[in-house]
Amino acid sequence: MKKKKIILMIIAAALLFGGWYAYSEYNRKVKDLSKVSADVHFKTVELVAQFEKDENAANALYLDKVIAVNGTLKAIEKDDTNNYSLVLGDENSMASVRCSMDQEHITKVEGLMTGANITVKGACTGFNADQLLGSDVILNRCVIQD
Amino acid sequence: MKKTLLLLTISFVLGSTLIAQEKYFTKSGKINFTSKASLENIEALNKSVTAVLDTKSGNLQFAVLMKGFEFEKALMQEHFNENYLESHKYPKAEFKGAVVNNGEINYAKDGTYKANVKGQLTIHGQTKPVETEGKIQVKNGKILADAVFGIALADYNVEIPKLVKDNIAKIVNIEVDCTLDPLK
Repeated sequence: MKKKKIILMIIAAALLFGGWYAYSEYNRKVKDLSKVSADVHFKTVELVAQFEKDENAANALYLDKVIAVNGTLKAIEKDDTNNYSLVLGDENSMASVRCSMDQEHITKVEGLMTGANITVKGACTGFNADQLLGSDVILNRCVIQD
Repeated sequence: MKKTLLLLTISFVLGSTLIAQEKYFTKSGKINFTSKASLENIEALNKSVTAVLDTKSGNLQFAVLMKGFEFEKALMQEHFNENYLESHKYPKAEFKGAVVNNGEINYAKDGTYKANVKGQLTIHGQTKPVETEGKIQVKNGKILADAVFGIALADYNVEIPKLVKDNIAKIVNIEVDCTLDPLK
């Protein structure tokens, strides 16, 4: 009799845990990158060079990885819905790293000046090779690193 | 003398802005997709869409990185990339086409115009023809382009497991919203 009770209790606990796990997993949010440390660090020009050399190889290495890039801030772009993109890289080159900023962390963006040397951390979503517009490595959900 | 110089400067400045720009572009266009199914609605937004419009020929191109779609829930984003769209294998979606009624749009004059767009859409390695009616708004030297259309997941070989077939719509709605700047 006692044994039966214990087994029932274990099953109930397992169900409860399973339910809780499924619920929290279902509602899990995408990670805030300010709380995640970077998988790799790069100078902007080095990262761009890797994608320009072999896009497929660089995709295999860096897609979804949290990358911290350091370089010159070439441009700050703000759209009509207050989304910011920071463009980093060599000022004499058309190629850049474009960082789409996490809207939860834009207060630091507002004080920035072009020409500054900054480090930005973001999730790599890939590369757009473009002769006309200049090629870009894209980082998403970016935050500025101190 | 001063007056002539001033007039010359004014006409030069005006003249240079009046020279029509042919190509317009953005690197921060938005594409939103919505799946409305009986069990749940799923929505995702990509804010780093590249688009180029040649106003002379009407040629229009979009490039979208699949990993750039942001979902409210992390699990959906992971399933989208890993199971359904296989973004590691097919990292990019592309549209190559044209505004068919380009002649009816006066890019030099502010206004809202109907734009019939036709072209080839590549998603998940599959290329299919698409056609939709969008809107082009010329405003203060910029072009605002938007369109809404539906695509069938089956057309692009996106397989949805039976277990979640009531969670994901067979036809998803794609919403394009881009502000294009003149290419200098």
